[in-house]
Amino acid sequence: MSRQAPLVIDNGTGYTKMGFAGNSEPSFVFPTVIATHQSASAGSSNNSGGSGARAPPPIAGKPSHLASKRGIEDLDFFIGDEAVANSKTYSLHYPIRHGQIENWDHMERFWEQCIFKYLRAEPEDHYVLLTEPPLNPPENRENTAEIMFESFNVQGLYIAVQAVLALAASWTSSKVNERTLTGVVIDSGDGVTHTIPVAEGYVIGSSIKHIPIAGRDITYFVQQLLRDRGESAQIPPEDQLRVAEKIKEDYTYVCQDIVKEFKKYDADPYRYFARFAGEHSVTGRKYDLDIGYERFLAPEIFFNPEIYSSDFLTPLPEVVDNVIQTSPIDVRRGLYKNIVLSGGSTMFKDFGKRLQRDVKAIVDGRIAGSEERSGSHLKSSGVEVNVISHKRQRYAVWYGGSLMASTPEFYNVSHSRVDYEEYGPSLVRRFSVFGSAV
Amino acid sequence: MILLESHSVIINDVLTDRFDKPSRADIQFVDYDNVRFHLSTPSSKSQILLSMGIQCWPDLVKYGAREHLQSEYEGYWLSEQDTEPEYNVSLIIDLEKIPEGVDDRLALISKLAHLKSTAMSSPFLSAFAEQASLQANYKDAAGAQAKDLGEQGETKGDLKIVRYREEEAIYIQASNDRVTVVFSTVFKEETDKVLGRVFLQEFVDARKLNALQNAPQVRYSNREPPLEIRHLPGLHNGEDWGYVTFVLFPRHFSNSSQAQSSINRIQLFRDYLHYHIKCSKAYMHSRMRYRVAEFLKILNRAKPEVAAERRTATGRTFRTR
Amino acid sequence: MSNTLRPYLNAVRATLTAALTLENFSSQVVERHNKPEVEVQTSPEALLKPLIVSRNESERVLIEPSVNAIRLSISIKQADEIEKILCHKFTRFMMMRAEGFVILRRKPIPGYDISFLITNFHSESMLKHKLVDFIIQFMEDVDKEISEMKLSLNARARIVAESYLSTVSAFSTREYDYNLANLTNLARVRKPRLDVISGHSKLG
Repeated sequence: MSRQAPLVIDNGTGYTKMGFAGNSEPSFVFPTVIATHQSASAGSSNNSGGSGARAPPPIAGKPSHLASKRGIEDLDFFIGDEAVANSKTYSLHYPIRHGQIENWDHMERFWEQCIFKYLRAEPEDHYVLLTEPPLNPPENRENTAEIMFESFNVQGLYIAVQAVLALAASWTSSKVNERTLTGVVIDSGDGVTHTIPVAEGYVIGSSIKHIPIAGRDITYFVQQLLRDRGESAQIPPEDQLRVAEKIKEDYTYVCQDIVKEFKKYDADPYRYFARFAGEHSVTGRKYDLDIGYERFLAPEIFFNPEIYSSDFLTPLPEVVDNVIQTSPIDVRRGLYKNIVLSGGSTMFKDFGKRLQRDVKAIVDGRIAGSEERSGSHLKSSGVEVNVISHKRQRYAVWYGGSLMASTPEFYNVSHSRVDYEEYGPSLVRRFSVFGSAV
Repeated sequence: MILLESHSVIINDVLTDRFDKPSRADIQFVDYDNVRFHLSTPSSKSQILLSMGIQCWPDLVKYGAREHLQSEYEGYWLSEQDTEPEYNVSLIIDLEKIPEGVDDRLALISKLAHLKSTAMSSPFLSAFAEQASLQANYKDAAGAQAKDLGEQGETKGDLKIVRYREEEAIYIQASNDRVTVVFSTVFKEETDKVLGRVFLQEFVDARKLNALQNAPQVRYSNREPPLEIRHLPGLHNGEDWGYVTFVLFPRHFSNSSQAQSSINRIQLFRDYLHYHIKCSKAYMHSRMRYRVAEFLKILNRAKPEVAAERRTATGRTFRTR
Repeated sequence: MSNTLRPYLNAVRATLTAALTLENFSSQVVERHNKPEVEVQTSPEALLKPLIVSRNESERVLIEPSVNAIRLSISIKQADEIEKILCHKFTRFMMMRAEGFVILRRKPIPGYDISFLITNFHSESMLKHKLVDFIIQFMEDVDKEISEMKLSLNARARIVAESYLSTVSAFSTREYDYNLANLTNLARVRKPRLDVISGHSKLG
């Protein structure tokens, strides 16, 4: 049987990325949201709570003229951008919370349209690669497999851990010369940043750390800085967030030394200050404003969180070092050697360079300290620290999936329908890593 | 979403984007029925090469697909030797030469997005044409010797076979007063088989409705292939197989737009059926989830309540009696 | 509720209540183990006589009591192929989630669709009459659910077929399109009314 390109679907909390294996970019990126006719309050398994039974789906009535489409209300929904566009008449639901699927009914229907409306693929002809967050409970994997095999009859399924795929995606970088699945993944999206250590394809669950600073916070911080300098008087209030986001995406970069950078700006402001020209979204009034220190201060909150937040004060390099230090000792070298960035909020210019320098400084400091304490009897050969940034960073997880699913090995490690019929959903509890031998 | 759309969303999206601002592309994707697409910019950003590979291309060519596409995509069509290897059809779109007007562009994009359905429609169109000529001949003959022919019934055209999937095929036959389309489809799973049978039965029954009197007649049989194609070798008959026959009368394809919309629907029939079988399974899943949650609630009533520890305002605990 | 269902359920309820007299009983084969005797079947003296309550050929309940556990297997009504597949799907779906249903057995006894295993630990930690209530409720609801699913499946199939055929239908006159649009609008405006009406018809 001729094999068709596997489907690669990465359902994230905020956005769903999907497409076909072998491509370098997902074909569709849209919000993971579903718009249905049900009231928002109804949970996973809903409506008429009091009477005990859900109102039975109406049987197509006797005068069944075509206008009455009752009975298949569950097909009346939109997903992604179309859902957002229809939010006035439908209610929006987010089936994924904190990376994990919360509402299976909605998720199942979300997939339904993903596959049939957007990808236009007959799932019976394809293998599917889905992603899951680290520490996903096995029950969730089973439920996913149940839906994929029983509802959609997919040919085969592989559920990959996002962090592992992000590692695989980093193989495209020219800095990587050996394809390893050991490393630390720094995954920063809109809501939260994770640092996840992975050893030979297995996530070290106990050492995962979350940082409550991510894309959204940077936007707020830019907005706050603009307001402090009085620039925001120019911007219409309803556009402020959007302008801040635009500035964050287009003008910011990571500096190597914050004090020097301030001096540089003060010495020659005309050279470094940028102008931002905007237009009022309703009236069309033109306005422009100066962008100053926020150009390098915005991403700085990763490295000096105290300038933004008062609750979380550990800089990112320190978190990374902590994560590695709490991992088993025999993988630490590998982890330091391969720190991989993934997600939109790691795309700042020179982000990787700065992170590498700071982590290196911490490591070197520790080595120097221990050499001194040993009375200079022991000499360390040093620890290699590498931060890998690459072109596919924004959709790294999806890209990693696309890469893996296009290898012939993919078909050997994924669970086929024949296996499913024999073992049932518990099949996916068995977890086979691949790529380490590629 | 009840009906499936007949255009490719990816082609639509990508071209809309590229028409605005040309940029590099190299995208491989698929459509229903083992159709592969490759959209790329091999030479420069403004030259978009759109290639399509269809499994049943040899069948389609027999029924004039090449000529049909060539006339439909005049100006974009690449000749056979320029077609991208491993694909059957290649179109080249020069972004510097596309029409200026917004409407014209939209029309072009939509036309390109329908590439697959256009290709698949050629056997239908040729059957419709054949039917028209058979009908004309039949009338002539009937005028001459009406009585003889009255007994004989109908004249039949060639049986066209399009093997659109690995094992499943469409059979199209024109005769003097109608065109018969037979789908064979296979159900890979026990549940699908049963659900498929329910759905197909409803297709047959639905036509009894007044409002649908004018819809094409539908017949369905499982296990045994229908009479029209029974003489063909290598047909499957077994529990897993379903044969669906649509009988199209001239009124279903009297004008070209009508013909096109009929064709677009009919060729997606198999996907439509399987899509809805899957959707019903999804629907049943959500029903079952609900029901299981309800059962769990009832069972949990059997567990005696653990007296919850309650606190006073000062933080002391007390027990309710 | 049909008039044979009530006595059937009452019989099951009475039998089950009587059989649910369980006590702690240590295994006589393995020291310091406690196994449901009905499952291990090692000491015949700890087993009681199994009993079948049957409503008709297809609907029956097998109750196998023992000193410390009782096994209850239900065979669910399956009139035709569709019900059979729906029943199979449903019980499978439930057994997949046996973790939550503490008394549900992950596999049914051969010849039955679903089995429960209630041990003395269950009957001690849970209210006995409520456990019986659960079983009875389950038996009632599962039949209802399966027939509802079947109806809704048919309804869906009907709508799906109609929507499909109506698009291939040979109407091209403007009048029809206009009528259809009107109907759709009316249906939309009157939706609450329609609901009320269908609600009534359900009662009737």
